[in-house]
Amino acid sequence: MRESRLMVIQYATALIAVVLVSFHLLMQGVLVSYSTAISYQQILSIYGNALYAGFLEVLLIVVLVHGFNGVRIILHELRQAVAWAKWVDVGTVAAIVLSVAYGTRTIVLAVFGVQS
Amino acid sequence: MTRDISLRVQRFDPSKDRKPADKEYRVPWRQGMTVLDALLYARDYQDHSIALRFSCRQASCGSCAMKVNGRARLACYTQVDELGSDSIVVRPMDNFEIVKDLVTDLGSFFEKHKQVTPHLVRADDSEQDNPTGEYVMKPEALEEILQFTYCIKCGICTSSCPTVATDAKFPGPQALAQAYRYLADERDEGGDLRVSALDDVHGVWRCHFAGTCSALCPKGVDPAMGIQLLRRHVLAGKGPRGPGEGAKEFARSGTGTGSEST
Amino acid sequence: MGQQESKAEKNRRGVAGWLNPIHLNVERWGYVFQRVTGLAILAYVIGHLGDTSFFVGGPFGTGPSQSSWTGISAIVENSFGHLILVLLVLVLVFHGTNGVRLVLAELGLIIGRPSAIEYPYRPKSLGRLQKYLFWAAVVFALLGALWTGMILFG
Repeated sequence: MRESRLMVIQYATALIAVVLVSFHLLMQGVLVSYSTAISYQQILSIYGNALYAGFLEVLLIVVLVHGFNGVRIILHELRQAVAWAKWVDVGTVAAIVLSVAYGTRTIVLAVFGVQS
Repeated sequence: MTRDISLRVQRFDPSKDRKPADKEYRVPWRQGMTVLDALLYARDYQDHSIALRFSCRQASCGSCAMKVNGRARLACYTQVDELGSDSIVVRPMDNFEIVKDLVTDLGSFFEKHKQVTPHLVRADDSEQDNPTGEYVMKPEALEEILQFTYCIKCGICTSSCPTVATDAKFPGPQALAQAYRYLADERDEGGDLRVSALDDVHGVWRCHFAGTCSALCPKGVDPAMGIQLLRRHVLAGKGPRGPGEGAKEFARSGTGTGSEST
Repeated sequence: MGQQESKAEKNRRGVAGWLNPIHLNVERWGYVFQRVTGLAILAYVIGHLGDTSFFVGGPFGTGPSQSSWTGISAIVENSFGHLILVLLVLVLVFHGTNGVRLVLAELGLIIGRPSAIEYPYRPKSLGRLQKYLFWAAVVFALLGALWTGMILFG
């Protein structure tokens, strides 16, 4: 992918993340009190709301894509060997896929999993 | 009132020394003394072996760029009194290989400049090989590029750039600002080639607007502005004008009074 | 020339070259903080993925588990954990606000236009608007951290 396309993604995820993370923070202690926000029952009811579960999924993807792309940029600046460049790109994609997968697993299990 | 300046100069001769070390010289201060004056005094009267570059002594040539008290500056353009200290530490510019003492190898710097095709490109080569007149360029169009033409290639911006500190393939602020200078020049028709060359993992996108290049440029070029304006064109994937859309030639008539060709 | 090149000292500053902004302009400090806070936030997010997964029983869980959630809460819900959250808000708000400043600057929107320049040279790209946005990022970050501290420790 051209570097300009990756930077458009970086800029877009940055601006989207500002909005989504702000809302996420407000939900953790301002719009809802902190002790309520971190309680088991509150979280369970949040995952029962499909819109909010969707919001969390989008937040997850946006933040991780932005973060790992940022690390990719720092690593590309650090060394310029051909093998290093290739493994940085591969590692970035792997890190994004694995972390998004793990976070998505949490959301999916919270919504559809068997309560114990 | 006279006083002595403490001038600590980094000395390093790769043919003899294992690593750089500072050497101190005491230089008698005088009104209006520049760092270059102090260095030349030390060289002329105390240690003839100090290696440094200088030429015009008036901030026109860019030869005497070096690090003075932690920031890259032109030695001829830096008054001792403006440093606010009688203790001056002089080092070679960062991120360029040291040839000896304060002299650095600017070969890679000039190579990166060449890589951005720092001359006008026209779709029709014959215009440049067999010109019939000058190109028309309005004053407003000149203002778009004028400040970027003031670059004296001293290397201060590139030396101070945080990306250059680790990324050997990054063109640096000087080359990128000159790339914008030619891209924005309404006589140039090579925009598409210029932007595609810079749309690279080590190209224009590795600038993060730290701004030190513009803060330290002794000629007011403001390379950071040029680079951010360049990004839009790289993002668009094409230059501001295509082949045949550049400023036209001002064809001279036989009587010596010109007439516009378009 | 080749011999001289091979003997010349390599003078590239490396990571210290971008990590150290001493003696330099305020935008350079912004650049360093943006990088450092970005890395800190990513480190936190990775940990956060881990601790939130205990809501569903951890890496090997199968669904919502009150006992698992209570267990992880006991580990992270304490003064040290809350201090981490205060610092997190500090770095998050700075990174986000400064990030907006960078997006605007890098798209050429708040850096001025080229013009004929006169001595003393003051680069337009380092003008007041983007400087105000940088200081706004600092102030908002401090206010956000203060507010979070009041919520968690008040």
